[in-house]
Amino acid sequence: MTTPAYENHNRSVTIAANKASDAQQPAGFDRRALLIATGAAVAGAIGLPFIKRALTPRQPVFIARNQRYDGPLQKTIGDGLLATRFTPQQFRGKRVLLKPNLVEPSRTSPQMTTNPAVVLAAAEVFRNWGADVTVGEGPGHVRDTEMALVEGGMQAALDDGRLPFADLNYQQVAWTPNKGRASRLGGFYFPHSVLEADYIVSMPKMKTHHWVGMTVSMKNLYGTIPGIVYGWPKNVLHHAGIPETVYDINASLPRSLAIVDGIVCMEGDGPIMGNPKPMGLILVGPNCPAVDATAARIMGLRPENVSYLALATDRLGPIDDSHIEQRGERWQELVKPFRIIDAPHLRGLSIDPGVQVS
Amino acid sequence: MPLTTAPITLTSWISAALERLASTPCGYHWAEPSAAEPTALAALSLIGAGRVAAAQTHLKWLAAVQTPEGCIAPFAELNQSAWPTAQATFAAAVSARREFQRNFTAEAAKINRIGSNAACFNLSQASQWLLGAVGKTVENSPEFGHNGQLVGWPWVLGTHSWQEPTAWSVLALKALGLTDHPRTREGVRLLVDRLLSTGGCNFGNTVVLGQKLRPQVEPTGVTLLALAGEQINDPRIELSLQYLSETISAETTPISLSYGLLGLTAHNRRPAAAEQWLEAAYQRTAKRDAAPISLALLVLAAQGIECPLIKYAV
Repeated sequence: MTTPAYENHNRSVTIAANKASDAQQPAGFDRRALLIATGAAVAGAIGLPFIKRALTPRQPVFIARNQRYDGPLQKTIGDGLLATRFTPQQFRGKRVLLKPNLVEPSRTSPQMTTNPAVVLAAAEVFRNWGADVTVGEGPGHVRDTEMALVEGGMQAALDDGRLPFADLNYQQVAWTPNKGRASRLGGFYFPHSVLEADYIVSMPKMKTHHWVGMTVSMKNLYGTIPGIVYGWPKNVLHHAGIPETVYDINASLPRSLAIVDGIVCMEGDGPIMGNPKPMGLILVGPNCPAVDATAARIMGLRPENVSYLALATDRLGPIDDSHIEQRGERWQELVKPFRIIDAPHLRGLSIDPGVQVS
Repeated sequence: MPLTTAPITLTSWISAALERLASTPCGYHWAEPSAAEPTALAALSLIGAGRVAAAQTHLKWLAAVQTPEGCIAPFAELNQSAWPTAQATFAAAVSARREFQRNFTAEAAKINRIGSNAACFNLSQASQWLLGAVGKTVENSPEFGHNGQLVGWPWVLGTHSWQEPTAWSVLALKALGLTDHPRTREGVRLLVDRLLSTGGCNFGNTVVLGQKLRPQVEPTGVTLLALAGEQINDPRIELSLQYLSETISAETTPISLSYGLLGLTAHNRRPAAAEQWLEAAYQRTAKRDAAPISLALLVLAAQGIECPLIKYAV
C-alpha cells in the first residue's frame, strides 16, 4: 500500500540523483569524478532506510508473566517503568493521563476493555511518584460515557481510588496539526485534557482487530479523539484510513508510553466480539510501536504486516526485534498464537495459518 | 395505539433540576462553556414543564451560534461538524408553536418571532440545511449487514449515515411538519434497517464480518422515539421494545435510562416503576454534581407523554 510518506521517500531518491547529475562542473572537475559522485548520491538515497534503521534508537520493552488482576500489579508496573528507563523524578509534579480502552463495555465481555485493577495500579505508581493523575477516555461506540464506566467496572474503581475522570468525548477541544501526514487529514481536534497532559499513558487491552489485525497501545489512542467532533463511531478517521490515522494520531500526540493489560486478552473477532484469551502478561514501554511489535510477536502475528506498524517503523519507533531491548521475560517463550478471523485482508498476518477462524 | 394520559406531578427533584437548567445556557459540565446539545435539551425540558419564557435564554444562545447556512456546531466557533442542528431545530420548532406564542407578553413575543430578528433562530434555514445534509452511501457488501445505500444523516458531512443523527433529524423534520417528506421517509427506513435481528440497535452497525453486534439502550431509545407513530410492520420494533423493557432498571445510568424510558413511553410501554427509577437516578447523579445533559434528559423522561419529544413528534 503506498502512502504519502512512501511516495515522498521514492521521490527523494530521484531528486538526489537529479541533483547530483545536474551539478555544474567546477574547473578541474572531470566526468569520471562526476559519475562517481552521482553513484554515491544514488547509493546513499537507496541506502537511506537502512541508515535510518541503523540510527533509530533501540527501545526497551518490559514483559511480566504470571500476572493476575488480584496480584501485586502496582509493583509489576513500577518495576516495568524502572526497567524501561523511567525514573520517579521525571513524573514529579507532572500531569499524567491514563487512557484505558472502554470502547463498548459489557458486563458479559470483560475481555473487551482494560481491567480497572490495572488502571488503579498504574495510578498508584504515578501518584506515589508525585504525579497529578487523571483517567481519561472517549469511548468510540457509546455516547453515554457514564454507562461505559459503570458497565466496565471502572466507575467503582475511580471512586475507590478517588481518581478524577476526563470524558474525552465531550471536552473543549483545540486544533493540532497532523505531524504524521500519512492520511489526508490536516490535523486533529484533541480534548484539552490530552493537550495539557505531560504524559499520555496508553493502557490498552491486548486484542485482535477484524480490520487491522490487532489493537494494542497505538490503536488504543483513537480514544483520545473526541466523538463530539468526529462522531460515534469516529467515521472521519475510518474514511481517512485506519492505519494512516492510527499512525498520524500517535505522531501528533504529546509524549506517550504504554502499559498493556495482557492478563486476559481477546482473540478471534476483536475488538468487540472476540473470545477471552488468558495470557497473564503486563507489557510496559516508552515507545508504543516497539511495545505493539512485541505484543504482535507474542500474539503470533508478524508486526511488519500490521499496516499501522509498518507505517510507524523507524519514524515513530522500531518494530524490528533487533532494535527492541527486551526487559523482564523474553517474548519468544511467551508466544501463544491468537486466533484471528479468516478474511482476505488479514491473510499473511499470522505466523500460524491454522489459527484463522471464520 | 393511543397514548394514555397520566398526570404530571412536579416533584421536588424536578423543580430543583429545572431551576438549575433555567439559570444559564448549558455546557456538558457546569463549569464549562455552553454547548449546543445540552442547551437544546435544557430548552426542551423547560418548554415541556411550561416554562417557555425561561427557555428563551437557551434558544437565543442557539440562534446566536447558528451559521448563515442554518446549522449549529457542537461548540460555538467549532465548524468541524454540525450534528446538533437537529436537536436545536427541534427545540426551536416547538417553541415557535402557536400555543407557546400566546403565552408571551408582547415583548417576549417579539423576541420569539422566528426569522424577524437577527437574534432569532432561523427555522427555514435550519430546515434547508437538514434536508441537504446527507450521509455517504457505500456499496452493499457481505462484510456489513445493513443497507449501505439508504441515505440518512451522518455525524460529520462526507461520512456514512448513522443511527442517532438520523433519528434526531427525523424527529426535527417531523416537528417542522415534514413527516411525509421523502428524506424523512427514507430516514425512517434507515432506522428500521439498522435494528438488530433480535431487537435494539447500537450506533448503527448490525452485522460486521459475519458477527452480529450488541444493542445499546441509548440509541435504541432515541430510535424508538423517532419511530413512534409510524406504521411499521416489522417484528424488530416489538423486539426492540422488549429489549428496552428487559434491560433498563433502577441502576441504569441517567442518560441511557432517560432515552430508554422515552422510547418506551412513546410506544405506550412505560414501566410502572419509571418515576421511582428517575428519581433514584437523579439522587445518584446529583451527588456527583449532575451534568446539565443528564438533568435535562431526566426531566424530559419524567414528563412522560407531555414531553415535547413525544408530544410534538408523533
